[in-house]
Amino acid sequence: MSTGPSNISNLLTPQLLAQLERMELVSRKVFRGRMKGERRSARKGQSVEFADFRNYVAGDDLRFIDWNLYARLDKLFLKLFLEEEDLHFYSLIDCSSSMEFGDPSKLHYAKQLAGALGFIGLCRADRVKVEGLGMGISNPGPVLRGRASLYRMMEYLSSIEGGKNMPLQASLREFCLRNSGKGILVLITDLMDKTGYESALRLLVAQQMDVYVIHVMSPEELDPDVTGDLKLVDCEDQDVAEITVSRPLLDRYKRTVASFIDTAKDFCNRRGIGYVMTSTATPVEQLVSSYLRRRGLVR
Amino acid sequence: MTPVRFFLNNFTLNTLCWTVLAAIPIGIILLYFLKLRRAPLEVPSTYLWSRTIEDLHVNSLWQRLRQSLLLFLQLLLLLLIIIACLFPWLQGTELRGKRLIFLIDVSASMAATDNKSGISRLDKAKVEIAKLINKMETGHTAMIVSFADQARVEQSFTDSRSRLRMKLNQIKLTNHTTDLEEALRTAAGLANPGSSGESAAEARAATMYIYSDGGFAPTEFSLGTLTPVYRAMGETTTPNVAIGAFSVSRNPEKPGKMKVFARAENYGTDEVTTNAALYIDDSLVDADEISIPPDGGITGISFTLEDRDEGILRMVLEHKDTLPTDNTAYAVLARTRIARVLLITAGNPFLEKALTTKQSAKISDITVLSPSVLKTESYKNEAMAGMYDVIIYDRVAPDRMPRSNTYFIGTVPPKGDWELEPKKLRPFILDVDRVHPITQFVNMTNVVIIDGSPVKSPRGSTVLMDAQIGPVIVSSPREGFVDVVQGFELGGVLEDGAQEWNTDWPRHRSFPVYCYNVLSFLGGQSTADATRSSEQPGASLALRTILPVEYVTVTSPSGKKVKVEREGEAAYRYVNTEELGVYSVTESTSELPSQYFAINIFDSRESDIRAAEKVDLGYEEIEGSSVEEPGKKDIWKWIIGLAIIVLVFEWYVYNRRVYL
Repeated sequence: MSTGPSNISNLLTPQLLAQLERMELVSRKVFRGRMKGERRSARKGQSVEFADFRNYVAGDDLRFIDWNLYARLDKLFLKLFLEEEDLHFYSLIDCSSSMEFGDPSKLHYAKQLAGALGFIGLCRADRVKVEGLGMGISNPGPVLRGRASLYRMMEYLSSIEGGKNMPLQASLREFCLRNSGKGILVLITDLMDKTGYESALRLLVAQQMDVYVIHVMSPEELDPDVTGDLKLVDCEDQDVAEITVSRPLLDRYKRTVASFIDTAKDFCNRRGIGYVMTSTATPVEQLVSSYLRRRGLVR
Repeated sequence: MTPVRFFLNNFTLNTLCWTVLAAIPIGIILLYFLKLRRAPLEVPSTYLWSRTIEDLHVNSLWQRLRQSLLLFLQLLLLLLIIIACLFPWLQGTELRGKRLIFLIDVSASMAATDNKSGISRLDKAKVEIAKLINKMETGHTAMIVSFADQARVEQSFTDSRSRLRMKLNQIKLTNHTTDLEEALRTAAGLANPGSSGESAAEARAATMYIYSDGGFAPTEFSLGTLTPVYRAMGETTTPNVAIGAFSVSRNPEKPGKMKVFARAENYGTDEVTTNAALYIDDSLVDADEISIPPDGGITGISFTLEDRDEGILRMVLEHKDTLPTDNTAYAVLARTRIARVLLITAGNPFLEKALTTKQSAKISDITVLSPSVLKTESYKNEAMAGMYDVIIYDRVAPDRMPRSNTYFIGTVPPKGDWELEPKKLRPFILDVDRVHPITQFVNMTNVVIIDGSPVKSPRGSTVLMDAQIGPVIVSSPREGFVDVVQGFELGGVLEDGAQEWNTDWPRHRSFPVYCYNVLSFLGGQSTADATRSSEQPGASLALRTILPVEYVTVTSPSGKKVKVEREGEAAYRYVNTEELGVYSVTESTSELPSQYFAINIFDSRESDIRAAEKVDLGYEEIEGSSVEEPGKKDIWKWIIGLAIIVLVFEWYVYNRRVYL
C-alpha cells in the first residue's frame, strides 16, 4: 500500500485542501470533548474567553481568583473561563458492492468526501475518525487528531475497498457499540439496502449524535441509459430483474427514484438528520463549499 | 355488385407442405423464447428496478403483449409472406380484355331520360364508361367512338385515363339517326389497322362495349377479333309518342285551301290520348285531341287551313314523355313559284300539249326552242347562268351541261357515264318506281313502245322505269341538279313535217301526269306538297339560289349564323343541320331570308325508345350483359407491400422501442 502525497492528491487536490483549511465543522449540538481542543465547551475551563464569576470555595485554584474584585469587595471570587474542547467527528463510508459503481465510483466519491470533511476536522484539531462500514472489526478506522494525521487518514481511506456487503443496520450497530462518544456523524451511503435504511438511521438518532446522511448516487442510477431486453443482476446478492426497456418503464423508474429520494429526505428531516442528496457528477469541491455549507455542516 | 370473396390460389398443397408452413411460426415462437437472451447487466442494486417493475405486474398482460410486440410483428410478417406466396386473389370483377373499345350511341333516342337519376341515357352511359375507365389498370388501352348515323373516333387507343375521361366528357348528344354498322367498321378498322391487309395474323383481340339503346337496324358485320359487349341503356318498356311525318298539301279540288297532315306514333303499351296543336309562325291556329293506339300504333292528324304563301308550321303533341324532341315537327310553307322551263325540240306537239295543261301552266312557264338554238351564244349564256329551272332536250343533246335540271328524251347528257345501248325492239315496261315523285301515279300498263335503248347511268342513279331490256328512265343527281334520262323516244315531227311516233304513251292518261310530275319535281317545287321536303339532322343540304351570289347565310333555329360560300354556279352546301327546327337562308347582303328549310327527326327507330335487350351483330345475337366479368384480382402485391410496412415498423420498434 503506497502512502504519501500521491495518495492524497489522488483523493484531494492541493487546491481543495487549501480551500478546506479555511473551513470548520459545525455541530448543531454542543458536546463534551475528551481533550482540550479549539472548541468552546459547556464545561468551564482554561481559556482566554471569560465566562462567569463564582464564589471561592476552599480548594479552588488560586490562580483564577480575581484579585481586583477582592480589592474592591473584600470577597474572593473565582473567574470562570470557557473551556475550549475538541469535537468528535465520525465519517462512515458505505463499502458495499453497490458503491463501487459509476465512474468515478460512488466509493471513490465517498472517500473524497470523507477525506475532505476529515481534513477540515483535522485542521481544527477535532477528533476525527474515518471508517469504512463493515471493516470495523478487522480494520477499525484510526482516531486522528491534528493536521499531521492527514497522511494516516489518507492511508486508511486508500485501504478501504468495496465488497463489504453487510446490512446497513448491522454495520451501524457494530459501529455504535464500539464508539459511544457523541459528536458529528456523517454517513456517506447510497442507501441501497434491501432490508431498509430506516432502522439503521434510527440507531444513529438514538446515539444522540449530530447525524448527516450524504446520499450518493451515480448519474447512471438517476437516468439509466439502457435499451433492449435486459437481465439486471444485483451485484450484492445476485438478484435478477428481467426488464424490457421501454419509455414507460424508464419513466416509471425515474418516478421510483424520485420517490425513493423523497422518502429518504422526509425520513431524515423528521428525525433531525441532515440529508444531502448528491450525484457523483457533482464535484466534491462544489459539494463541500456550496451544498454542505448551505446545509450547515461546514462553515 | 358481386360480393368480394377471398381465395388462395388453387395450389394443391399436400400435408407435408402444410405441416412445414405450420411449423415455421411455431418455430419462430420457440426460437423467440429460447433465444430471448436478455443481455445481463450488472447494476448497483436491483432495489429500485424491482420496485419499478413490481408496479408493472398489475397490468402484466398488456406489458407482456408489449414486451412481445416484436414477436407479434415477426409472426405477422411471416404470415403475410406465407399468404403472399400462396398468390391469393379476390373474386372481383375486371374489365373484359386489355384493349377496350367504347362505342357510345349519341343518336336522338339517347336523349331519353328514362332512368332513376333523371339523366339522359347518354349521360348515364358516360357515367358507366367513366367507371370502367377508372377501373382500367396498367396495360389496358381504350378507345372511344361515338356513333349516330356516322361514327366518330373521339379518342383513339390510349392508356391515358385522364385523356379518355376528358374526351368522354366532350361527347355531345346529336339528333341523328343510328347506324351501328358504320361504327363497327370504324371500331374494327381502328382496333386492327392491318387486318384488312395481309397481316391478319397481327389481329389483336379487343373488347367492344356498345352503349346503346339498340335503336338500329340489324347488321351483318363480321366482328373478327372483336368481342362485343352490349350494354342496354334505358328501359325496355319506355313509352314514347312521336310525330313521324308532317307535311302540308294544297288541295287541287279546293283551291285556296291547304291540308296539313301529320302522323302520330305511339311506342308505349298504353293507348295515348293527347292534344295535337298546330302553330303557324308561333301562333296557335288549330288543335285536336287524338288517340294513338299502343305498340307502334299510328294515328293520322289532319287540319284544313286557308292557303297562304309562306310560313313556318309547327306541330306539337302535348304529351309528356322522356324524349320530348320528337313531339314537335316543323315544316316550311314554300311560295308557289312558277318554274321556267325550256323545251328544245324539233317539234313534239303531244309533249308540248302535255306540258301546257291547265295544271302544268300553274307551276311552269314553258319556252319552246328548236335544236338550232343550242349553238347560239344567248342560249349558252342563259344555260350557264341557270336562267331555267328545267331544260328538256327532246332528241338533242347540248355540248355542255347547263346549270339547271335536265330531262333528256332519247339522248344522254354529254358528260358523265351516261350511255345509250343499242336500240332493242318492243321494250315492255315491267316496273315503275311508284314512290319517286316523278313516276308516282304513273300507270304504264298497256303502253306500247316500238323501240328503245337501255340506259347506262352513272353511279348513284335511281331507276324510275324498268323494262325487260333494262332501265329506260333513270334519274341521277349532278352537283345539286337532277338529270332524268329517258331511253326511248316519244317521236314527233320529222324534218319533212311528217309525224312519226315511237310510242302510244301520249295517248294514255298517265302521260300528262308524268309530265306534270317532271315539271313539279324538276321545277324545284311541288304544288301538291306545299312544303319543302324535310331533312333529317346531319343531312348535307345543297342550297340553291335563283341568281348566283357570293355567299348565303344560314341561321339555325337557335340563331347561330353560318356563312356558306358558293360552291357551284349557284349552289351552296350546308352541313350543320344538327338542330331540329327551321333554318332560314339569307342571300349575301339581303336582310330578309329568301328560303327556309326544316330539320325533323322523323325516324321511327329513334322514336321507338324502348331499349333493345339484345342486338343483332354479325350473325350473332348479343344480349345485354354485365360489362365486367368475374375475375381474379391478384392481391399478393398488396400483401407484400403490407409485409414491407410491417417490416419497417418492426425495424422502427426494434430501434426505437425504448420510446414505445
